[in-house]
Order: sequence, then C-alpha cells, then structure tokens
Amino acid sequence: MIDKRHIRNFCIIAHIDHGKSTLADRLMESTGQVSERDMEEQLLDSMDIERERGITIKLAPVRMFYKADDGVEYEFNLIDTPGHVDFTYEVSRSLAACEGAILIVDATQGVEAQTLANVYLAIENNLEILPVINKIDLASARPDEAKKEIEEVIGLDASYAPLVSAKEGINIKEVLEDVVKYFPPPSGDDDAPLKALVFDSYYDNYKGVILFVRIKDGCVKAGDKIKTFRSDRVYEVTETGAFNPALVPKNGLFSGEVGYIAASIKSIQDVAVGDTVTGAERPADEPLPGYKKVQSVVFCGIYPLDGSKFGDLKDALLKLQLNDASLIFEPDTSQALGFGFRCGFLGLLHMEIIQERIEREFGLDIITTAPSVSYKVVKTDGTEMFVDNPSHLPPVSEISYMEEPIVKTEIFSPPDYLGQIMDLCREKRGTFLQMTYLDKSRVKLEYDLPLNEIIFDFFDAVKSRTRGYASFDYELKGYEKSKLVKLDILLNGEVCDALSMIVHEDSAYARGRTLCENLKDAIPRQLFEVPVQAAIGGKIIARETVKAMRKDVLAKCYGGDITRKKKLLEKQKEGKKRMRQIGNVEVPSEVFMQILKTNKD
Amino acid sequence: MAGIYVHIPFCKSKCRYCDFTSFPDKLCFAESYMACVYREMALRQKELESYTFDTLYIGGGTPSVVDESYIAMLVAAARKNFKLKEDAEITIEINPGTISAGKVEMYSKCGINRYSVGLQSAIDGQLRELGRTHTLNQFITCAKLLKGKNFNADVMIGLKDQTADDVKKTIEVAAAFGAKHISMYALTPEDGTPIYSDYLNGELPDGDEVAALYDEGYKRLEELGFLRYEVSNFAKKGFQSRHNLNYWRRGEYIGFGVAASSCINNVRLTNTFDLDEYFKCILSGHLAVIDSEKIDKEGQKEEKIMLALRTAEGLNIDEFNAEFGGDFLKDYGAAIKKTCEYIEIFEGRLKIKDRYLFVQNSIIVEFLRG
Repeated sequence: MIDKRHIRNFCIIAHIDHGKSTLADRLMESTGQVSERDMEEQLLDSMDIERERGITIKLAPVRMFYKADDGVEYEFNLIDTPGHVDFTYEVSRSLAACEGAILIVDATQGVEAQTLANVYLAIENNLEILPVINKIDLASARPDEAKKEIEEVIGLDASYAPLVSAKEGINIKEVLEDVVKYFPPPSGDDDAPLKALVFDSYYDNYKGVILFVRIKDGCVKAGDKIKTFRSDRVYEVTETGAFNPALVPKNGLFSGEVGYIAASIKSIQDVAVGDTVTGAERPADEPLPGYKKVQSVVFCGIYPLDGSKFGDLKDALLKLQLNDASLIFEPDTSQALGFGFRCGFLGLLHMEIIQERIEREFGLDIITTAPSVSYKVVKTDGTEMFVDNPSHLPPVSEISYMEEPIVKTEIFSPPDYLGQIMDLCREKRGTFLQMTYLDKSRVKLEYDLPLNEIIFDFFDAVKSRTRGYASFDYELKGYEKSKLVKLDILLNGEVCDALSMIVHEDSAYARGRTLCENLKDAIPRQLFEVPVQAAIGGKIIARETVKAMRKDVLAKCYGGDITRKKKLLEKQKEGKKRMRQIGNVEVPSEVFMQILKTNKD
Repeated sequence: MAGIYVHIPFCKSKCRYCDFTSFPDKLCFAESYMACVYREMALRQKELESYTFDTLYIGGGTPSVVDESYIAMLVAAARKNFKLKEDAEITIEINPGTISAGKVEMYSKCGINRYSVGLQSAIDGQLRELGRTHTLNQFITCAKLLKGKNFNADVMIGLKDQTADDVKKTIEVAAAFGAKHISMYALTPEDGTPIYSDYLNGELPDGDEVAALYDEGYKRLEELGFLRYEVSNFAKKGFQSRHNLNYWRRGEYIGFGVAASSCINNVRLTNTFDLDEYFKCILSGHLAVIDSEKIDKEGQKEEKIMLALRTAEGLNIDEFNAEFGGDFLKDYGAAIKKTCEYIEIFEGRLKIKDRYLFVQNSIIVEFLRG
C-alpha cells in the first residue's frame, strides 16, 4: 500500500481545443504509462464520437506512477473532464474526486468563457489550481498576455505557470514536478468506516455494474460486503482495481485512492452516480455530500424507428444513464410516433451526443422530435405546472399565463463582430445587459436570452456570424413571463403531435411559414395532394402543398426485365419501410428534424 | 401460354437512349450469329418437346438490318424445333429506315404476321436528337409497305422540348397510316447512355411534365379507338400483343440469342451479353447461360401481382388462388386495405384504377413482402 502522501489526484480543465487530451496523453507517455509506439492518438477519448469530434464527453480516469526529482515515486490519478458547457455536471463529478486541477490556457487564445465556469467550480470545490500555458510552439503564441489574463480575469497567480507545448512535448516534466509540488496529497483515514464516492459507473456484461470511486475514508478489497446509502442491498466485492486507462485489477483500494469496484451488481437502478459506498458490517454514519441534482434544460422525444424496438430503446437509455446520470427519461406516447421516451438533457450538444450514442453503440434507428425547454404554465385556477412537451400543454382557455426560462449569456468575441452578435441577440429576443472590453482584442457581451431561442440554431449562428471567433456560455437565470403560443403542424388536415412546438407569439408566423416550406420539400409526394399547414389554436397561419405524385411507373417490363424491375420495386419498398405513417401520409423520419431549422435552406 | 423470343443484336447505329444489347459495328457477324441461334434452338429442342408455343417475337437491336433470308430461316428453324401453333402470332421489330418492299414480302411469306415499327416521334428534329437514323417520311413509306398488315408503332414521350401537340401528332400519324397497336413509352434515361447527360443537365421533361404528356397522349389514343391494355400499350380491339400479354400474365417463355432470357418451370435463365462468348458457347455445343434464378413461391406470387397490375385486366383472383393455394383477399388483406382508394376489385379481378396506373409503383410495392 502506497503512502497517502505520495498520491496526487487531479483533473485537467480546459476549453475545447486548448489541448487537454493531448496534454493528458503526454503525461501518460512521460510516466511510462504507455509507450510512444503503442499510443493511439488521444487515449482518453475512447468513444468514437469523442475522437471524431475531438472533444471529451465522458470523464476517463487513469493512474500513473511518476518518479519525481526528490527520488520518491508518486501515484497520480488523473481524471479527464469534458470541456463543453453542456457537461459541467460531469466536471463537477470529477472535481469532487480530486485535490488539484491543471488549468490549461491556450497561449494563442487566452482564457475562454467555458474555462471560467469550470475554474469557478474547481475553486468552489477547494481544489488547488495549477495554470499551464499550452501551445507555446505556435508563432501566434502570446504566453505573457495569457498569463496576464489569468491573473486579471480569474485572479490566480500565474507567474509560476509552466509554458508547454503538449503537441511537441515541451516542458512536460515541469508540469509533472509542479503536480507533486503544488497539489496536496489526499487526506483520509484508512481505519475509519468505508466512505467511497461513486463518480461514474458503467455496465459490464460479465462483471455487472462497475463503480468508479474515490475512497475518502477506509478501505475496500475483494470479499468485503458493501452497500450504498441509496439501497440496503448488500453486495460482495469481487474485484477492485485502478485505471491505466483500461481497468487493471489491484488488491484493495485505500483512502485517498481512485479506482473501481466490481461487486456483481446486476440491477442498474441500485446505484447512482454521486452515491456513497460504505461497508455493510461497519457502515459510516452519513454519506458524503453528493452532487447537486442536475436540472435538465433541453427536452426531446426519442422514438424507435421500428416500433417493435421500444424495449431495446429502453434498455439503451438505462445503460447510458448508468454512466451519465444527467440523462433523464420517462415513457411517452405520440399519436404520430407511437411509444417512445421523453428525454431531458443538459444542453443541445448533450442531446446530440446521446442520440448518436444510441444509434452507434446500440445500433438502434431512432426518430427524435424537436428540442423544447420546460415552460411554467400558470392556469386560470391558480395552479402551476411545468410543461416541456408541447402536446401536454393545457387548452388555451385554461392558461392564465406562461413563463419561459431565461439564460444569462456571456459572449466573448473580437470587437469586429459586435454588430453581428448584437443583431443576432436582438433577433432572438435578447435583453442587453452590458459590454466589457477585456483587452484590445476581446469583448465580453452579456445578454439575457430566452432559452428556447438558443436551443435551435444559436450556436451555429454565433459561429457563422463571427467566422468562428466568438464563444459563449450561458447559465440559467430564472423564469420570466412571456407571450407564448403552441404552434401546430397539420398534415393533410390532421395535427401531427410530434411536430408541435411552443414559440413566442411574435415569431410564430415566421416560424410557421418556414416550417411549412421546409416540410413541403422534405415530405415526398404521395398519391394525393397533402396540405401542410401551420396553426395557432385552430387558426391556420401558413400553408404549403405537397403536390400529388403524377409519375411513378416503370415504362417497360418484358421477359428480360422482370428480375431487374422487381429489384427496383423492392428498393422502393425498402425506402417506404423507413417512413412513418402520419394519418395517411407517409413521412420519412428526417422530417421530424426539419423543425430545427429556422431558416429556409 | 408460352412464347419464344429471339434477340437480334445488330443495328445501323446506336440510339442515344439505347440500353439494349446491340452492336452497331458487328453486322458482318450476322450470318454466323443467325447460325448460332438456329443451333441454340436445336440444343433446347428436347427439353421443350412437351411445349406448344403461341407466339414468336423477333426483337433487337434491329432485326430488319439483317438479310431477310436469315429471318425466314429463323422462323423455319423455330417451327422445325418447336411446336409453334399454326395461328401463332409472329412479330418482327423493324426500323423504318431499313425496310423495303422485298423484305416485307419475304417476312410475310415466311409467316410473320405482326410488325413493330420504331417510329418514336413524328418530329424529325426529335428523331435526330434521339439518334434515330430515319425520318418521318421514311416511316410513312414503311407504313405504306405494311398497308393492310397488323403493325405496331412505338411512340416515345419525355423527349427534349416535346410538347403535347408533338405527342398527339405522332399518335395521329401512326393511326392515320394504319397502326393497329401503339406502344407509348416514357423515355427512361439509363445511366451510361449518352442521353443520361441530357437528363443530368435537366434538359429532359421532369416527371410531372412526362405525366402531362402521357395524359394527353392517352386521351388522344382513346379518342382514336386505341384501348389501353397495359400502362404503355394501346391497341384496337382484337389487336393486343399476345406475346407481351404472356409476359404480364406470367406465362412461360424461352429466349434465344445474346442477352435473351427464358422462364420455364420457374427458373429464369439469362444468356450472356457478350457476343464472342455467345459464339464460343454455342459453337462448342453448350447453352450460353450466365445467370440462373430459381423463383420461389413467394417470388412467383410477387411477380404475378407486379406484372398483372400493369395491365387493365388486372389480376384474376381465382386463378391466383388456384395456382398458389391460399386466399388472396385474406392473405393480402393489409395491402388491399392500405391501397383501397387506388384499386378496384370487380368480377373476380383486382386492378389499379385507371387514373392511378401511371403511379402504380407505390401501389404495387404494398403487395411485396418485407
């Protein structure tokens, strides 16, 4: 067992693209965790989606051994963290398992909005922060300015920050030494009753649920009886171990250490991330403080393309939830789409990632409905309710008024694009709060914006109007009264519940019109004319028509053609199978995403 | 019913839309080729001893480019090897530019009693655009040679810059000069043909425009007494093509020559598309089959439905039940229910309603499995 004084638990905080995964890889390489040759690019981003998008979504722990200049071998537990604003929740989870955080700042870009949020989280969690200036190999690097920004914006002393290039492997050793020097070792009492914080988990087909834990007090080894504070079920530990980053069995985990526990836990519902594991025979008196319960911000319906796959979809969601507690879902039905789930996410990117993981990791074809936020509805009888599904909105006559979530947004941009950003915020019903010049080349704009305006294409709009230079961050501020209406779409005279949405009165007409136009192009022609209408409370506000199909025939079919012509028809049949029947209209599943586009393309 | 098809893969030149197996530069091999076809017939004579054939169809290519004596020998070879009914329908496809009084005389003497003339359009500019080698006048000359005989004229719709009046004019010319049967096909631009680039360039009428041309043509044909009996085929009463009806009723057929296919006992055989290979196989005493497909019962049913629904007579339900067992109306209940607005069941037959025949694919696919 290693001396606790020689353990360092830390994480890395960085903005997307500032080189977090690269630095993590470099640290592993320098500590001999992996040989350079075996190293697959960016080890910690193990999901395909992470590699493709170049972002970290899941936190991934890894243990390293480092022989420092003082001659002592230290155990490092690095817990990688996601950088995107949507995954703040994941970040807070890993922070709770660490004593220190490396803050990476890009020497060419300085401090970014998203970094700030995570730095403050780390400070709140009493973590020691070590700033590291990365990308100093680039010609445009301005390390001194970056240091100045750290001191001015965050208020950290950055004078001792190592100047590194993770890509080129410059000054990595300095970082390792600083980790030893500046980060405190974990505290904890090996003899106290076991208290282990579950910061992540996943389901292994052979071993059951694998718990990723940080041991705060006590110790745990194979054969021990454990339980969680959440349920009284007692499990026998079958295996403990560490991460390299793959799971490596190790006999016993002691206070201060980070590792995993397998205990043949078969029921996914029995454990939750944020829970505390303790000994069944000598339980601790009270659990560790868990995580702040996350609030879902964006909601959408997820339905299996093939209605009979409902059970598979449920299974997939449960398994995803196991290591992403921020995903919430409940069964839902739609007239148009049948049985499915209403899901809640931390943000748009989170939603996209989950959708993609369902399709890739579980091989399920799904239909998703337009994202929505949660609205507060005050009814005429004085009662209040929250509605995130447009089809659950009570009749207009029962609604006294509605409130919508407002977010406080900080947009960082070079001054050149101020005009474009302000125009955009105005279009999106934003309220200007203030503007601050951070330095010559960076301005911070603060706006209050309705969240439902952001969830559609705000990210893309900000990026495209500023040629990618601006970044932004938002946090929920509260609810404000707003004139909201339910916009329905009728296909061939029938309301298609999966296409309904709640929009602001002022933009309803424009949205209705654009949506009808987009749908007209997305819905294939049928044997009959299909009116596509947008309506507010029964009043039609826009209409387009999908003309009836006039030609759908194989001109010739004689003896030699039969096989080939039949294949053509079979292909057509295949295409039809991917469609949904809405009333008597056949609609391809992509149609349900048309609603996302606020512009005609 | 059973039919014989013979493929003659020679042409004067390749039309721009042509996707068939034809060789414009190999006419010199015609004699050897015909000899191989007679040989191929002899190779299958035993196997087909028990069959009686109702029709013989000589298609191409352009059968009228080869010497008429070979055609006469071909008909004779067919009669010699197979039981071809005394009153069999014997058709030859001809190109208006390659016909003469002598040819017609020989054809008729050897027993050919039906002609299919590739008119395509009565507008010379459109003929040129298609790469046809004849003119309207040559068609008229040809039609005069065929006076009093049973002939079909092919008419194409969906040509570049084609108007409804052009289509009507073409139909009227064919009718005026005595055609008893008119096939009106929508041009299908196939990948790999020169006309495909016109299609990609958006120079050809789109689906809606083709449908409009079809509707106009259809109307005019009915006015002139041509009744639609299949989506692209129209005939005066009693002049339907028995050979083609046999395909749509899913009768048996045997094909000779390159690229020809046969369907006997629910095995579909396809001959090689390569002329040299065809020669080699036949000369060494083998069939030139490159593909053999055994059609299972489900496949047979699907073909039966898909072909029958192309026709105005539709599917004979009792016959279907007798052939395959089961109860069609019950077994296909879901498809019938789903398409009920577009089909009709009348006097034991299920057919697509007249006005939906040109959008039949989306209706037919409901009857396919999977």
